[in-house]
Amino acid sequence: MSVTETYSLGIPVEIGKINQELKKLWQESEGAMTRASLINLAVYSEEPSSLEKNTQLMAKITENHACRAIVIEADCKAKENRVDAWISAHCHVSGAGNKQVCSEQISFLLKGMCTTLLPNIVFSHLDSDLPFYVWWQEEFRAPMDAQLWTWVDRVIYDSQAWTDFRAQMRLVESAQEEAKQRIVLCDLNWTRLDKVRFALAQFFDHPASHHHFAKIKKVRIEFAPRFRSTAILFAGWLAAQLNWRADNANARNDLRFVSPTHQRIDVQLHERHGEPVGEIALETPEIQFLVTHAKCGDLLEVSRGKPGEKRMPQLMPAGKNDPVSLMSEELMRGGLHNVYLHAVNRIRESL
Amino acid sequence: MNRTADQPEPNPLREGLSARAVPQPCTIVIFGATGDLTHRKLIPALYNLAADGDLPPAVAIVGFARRKKSDEEFRRDLEEATRKFSRQPVRDEIWKTFAQSIFYHQSEFGDEAGYKTLAGRLGEIDKTHGTRGNRLFYFAAGPDQFEPILKHLKAAGLNETCKGSWVRVIVEKPFGTDLASARELNRIIHNSFTEEQTYRIDHFLGKETAQNILVLRFANAIFAPLWNTHYIDHVQITAAETLGVGTRAGYYEGAGALRDMVQNHLLQLLCLVAMEPPTDLSADSIRDEKVKVVRSLRRLSAAEIAASVVRGQYTEGAIYGKPAVGYRQEENVKPDSQTETFVALRLFIENWRWADVPIYMRVGKRLPKSATEISIHFKKAPAVLFNKDLHDLNVLVIRIQPDEGIALRIHAKVPGTSFHIEPVKMDFHYGTSFGKASPEAYERLLLDAMSGDATLFARRDEVEQAWAFIDPIEEAWHAKKDPPKLFFYPVGSWGPEEADDLLARGGQAWRRL
Repeated sequence: MSVTETYSLGIPVEIGKINQELKKLWQESEGAMTRASLINLAVYSEEPSSLEKNTQLMAKITENHACRAIVIEADCKAKENRVDAWISAHCHVSGAGNKQVCSEQISFLLKGMCTTLLPNIVFSHLDSDLPFYVWWQEEFRAPMDAQLWTWVDRVIYDSQAWTDFRAQMRLVESAQEEAKQRIVLCDLNWTRLDKVRFALAQFFDHPASHHHFAKIKKVRIEFAPRFRSTAILFAGWLAAQLNWRADNANARNDLRFVSPTHQRIDVQLHERHGEPVGEIALETPEIQFLVTHAKCGDLLEVSRGKPGEKRMPQLMPAGKNDPVSLMSEELMRGGLHNVYLHAVNRIRESL
Repeated sequence: MNRTADQPEPNPLREGLSARAVPQPCTIVIFGATGDLTHRKLIPALYNLAADGDLPPAVAIVGFARRKKSDEEFRRDLEEATRKFSRQPVRDEIWKTFAQSIFYHQSEFGDEAGYKTLAGRLGEIDKTHGTRGNRLFYFAAGPDQFEPILKHLKAAGLNETCKGSWVRVIVEKPFGTDLASARELNRIIHNSFTEEQTYRIDHFLGKETAQNILVLRFANAIFAPLWNTHYIDHVQITAAETLGVGTRAGYYEGAGALRDMVQNHLLQLLCLVAMEPPTDLSADSIRDEKVKVVRSLRRLSAAEIAASVVRGQYTEGAIYGKPAVGYRQEENVKPDSQTETFVALRLFIENWRWADVPIYMRVGKRLPKSATEISIHFKKAPAVLFNKDLHDLNVLVIRIQPDEGIALRIHAKVPGTSFHIEPVKMDFHYGTSFGKASPEAYERLLLDAMSGDATLFARRDEVEQAWAFIDPIEEAWHAKKDPPKLFFYPVGSWGPEEADDLLARGGQAWRRL
């Protein structure tokens, strides 16, 4: 078989022969190809037909992040116990333009009781010595499987879809505490905020602008339906970084904080169709710092100015809200996410 | 790489967002703004930084040059150049906002009035663009223009900083043509700016793999015990290019390969390979260690120069199968030119770590392929068991360009019943492992200068020590009595045979590229 860029699950293989079949796949492939892998990336979903959907995502993600992808669909409610497996490769022309670079994918469909075999199946197919990332597309369920989580270097999830943020966060944190190895918690809902955080932060790069921090009275955040948690995370970030203490809120979308100088800060959340976080305005009595999505699409317009004053907006990258872009952004950044945890701690009760 | 002492309080909102020093709002004034460097490198680099969101919005660019031009004309020229030379396609909406902050200032470099009006204009830009009095003067003009520019900047008070602001100057090579001229240039610069304000740019240091040398050496424990005279047989540094002198003959005739490449780029790479671990990652700690390497280079006597340095010049030949003229037939080159287009050297670093390890460098034009790399050739394992008949050494290769990466050659048994051993290569390619393209060297270096991080810029003493090493070679070549011969090599070859002899005498050979 030749290795081509397809979204199919590839060749069905017996689960005990995956490694031999992978070897054959590379031996039989035609042309000059380089197999590359920097991480093991396991993707777990219980959504029916998620194997095909995630294979498409992996085809895109591997363009920038060479990895061994282990894509898993679990059907826990199935009556039959069964494991099916496939192998495939995602190939693309490298940046230099003269070489096919390929990442391999192993896909599993787990049914019935076999879903309890998840750690075993994953462990048997890791590319040795490479970091192990798990992209968990489901809600977490108690009890967290210590056997699995002790092997994980980074767990990636999207809290935007969580129905009970506090309970889910407790589960993730318990896995982190139990794990012998350090797990970095990577929330794509947090990644979603990277560019707007960056855009707002740049206003305060010069120390002469730091005095504005103490004068902030109002923050306005516009968010799209279903992205309230994203907006609240943003507020949590401001509170954690500027040392604001949570105060009693008036209403669901009105948060209140108190600054170290006892200044009251009102954070107003407004729901509006559009980008997950469409606009942010930080206001002091003298000046407003504004980050808003530009009309032309994936750009942010940033400006500062006094009310009524003519502004000179600048454009900055806005990032995209699709899973491939969010994952690429997350995989590119690496590092610890202490700032995220601080932000979560400031607003946990509001989520 | 680290914040310097004069850098401001960190912005709490930046925590976790960026692992690098934050560039500050500023106005970049480019002297020689209508030249090639501005169009091919500087503006495309600044545009890419803006498009990637790495440039602070409060950055303005003022082009300073002699030709008459309006702001609009200048912007149009730059847009055309950026569309041609940018590493990513130009997006109209980003260019539009980026271009709003580009201005043109027409003046002769020697006209005092032009600097006074420049000062006024910069003050205005501070008000309209929030650039906060920070200035970055980029000298993209010829070195003969530095003195009048610096003198007038000082006279106009543009070298002075207000409270909380900074002024920096970026100087392009050549940093002089010998030690005396480098000292003179430094004296001229320091009449107006301090050493801390001076950023001497060497674009080789902005390349990803050049920076990765430090990571390879100091973040990987496996190499540290081997990185010395006990385990390293020799080191080779090659900078080969297929191009000829092109349109640079005017400059190149007076410079030659030794001044053009060895004094700066190759010695800088050598410093990164040979330096001791710095105490921290601050600019001066790293540069302190680098300058020790140059100071430790064994100075060559006239006799040693004849034996250890080979100079060559290309003659008619073919490159990629196409006929090419010799150097002396190139436009604006003297028919009896003695300028070297190729140099090979054998050096020694006289310190504890590198005692008796030969360092071979070669640089040349019109060679069969373009490649810059460093290779570390390790000593043979004891000649017992497998090694009696092995001739290849373990080699660690650091590829700077193209196809940036790292390769390691080791020995392996060929499968089969007999004990046959062959060298095999483990190869890491940046382009394969990381999908994201590396930024251009100028992007990284401009951002560093805006952030006040001078790590990747050459310090005065590095430059002067490098000339102190190079000058005796140039003097020997230009001696009236018995100067070492200039050898010739055909276009498309790997240089004169005498360059091979340089290594053959020590039982070594140039790595096959």
